[in-house]
Amino acid sequence: MTWIADVTAARDAGAVFFDFLTAVDLEGDGFEVVCRLWDPTARTEHLLRTRCTRTDARVPTLTGVFAGAAWHERAVADLFGIGFDGHDTAPLLLPASFEGHPLRKEFVLASREARQWPGAKDPGESDADLAVPRRRRAKPLGTRDWSP
Amino acid sequence: MTGYPVPASSRGIIALDENACTSCMLCARECPDWCIEIDSHKETVHEEGSRPRVVHVLDRFAIDFGLCMWCGICIEACPFDALFWAPSYDHAATEPAGMVHERFDLRQWLSEVPPGTP
Repeated sequence: MTWIADVTAARDAGAVFFDFLTAVDLEGDGFEVVCRLWDPTARTEHLLRTRCTRTDARVPTLTGVFAGAAWHERAVADLFGIGFDGHDTAPLLLPASFEGHPLRKEFVLASREARQWPGAKDPGESDADLAVPRRRRAKPLGTRDWSP
Repeated sequence: MTGYPVPASSRGIIALDENACTSCMLCARECPDWCIEIDSHKETVHEEGSRPRVVHVLDRFAIDFGLCMWCGICIEACPFDALFWAPSYDHAATEPAGMVHERFDLRQWLSEVPPGTP
């Protein structure tokens, strides 16, 4: 429970303003949950991080330290599928029927699969030139590496 | 620009200097929202005393401000200083297609860019 203890210690040391809590998908290394606190007197920021695995994606809740963390944890639960022990994270941003967690790297963005990437054209080309097959074309970042 | 006065350096809308644009596609490729569409074609220029050279001629430059998130990465990415922040901000539309602004709109906002903007 060093996560709660560390955040509590930072708060008690003056970082009383809870700015945000979010997560980072580290793929093979699991998830990193990041919390930013602000010390309004010292005017310093504190970035606190904790890790969890992909298979057991859960961290302790910070709602006992900052009640305002509840919304952030609900958003992270929605978007990353990370559980917060001690906090019943009802969906905040996504409809109840939504399948999957959109900010996980493995989540396929359907609109990105369906739409032609504007950067696929080379200088001096228009849409008509894309019909001509080419061995190498620029590929967008963050999409799956296959052509349908 | 109409409405409430804002500082000239405001990030209101993105202006395009067509004469500086080389259709290099860097902004369209860097854009995280895929909101920049560029069409261009090649032309061979014959000049007296030099060999013929191929230039890219811009046919279409459009930014879909319905997708844009005002990150400014296109402006940072442009190696030819063709894109600028302009302060004009009131560009609401009644339908999604109205949020797409073509080169003629983007060029007109160039006049609002404060002088000395990098």
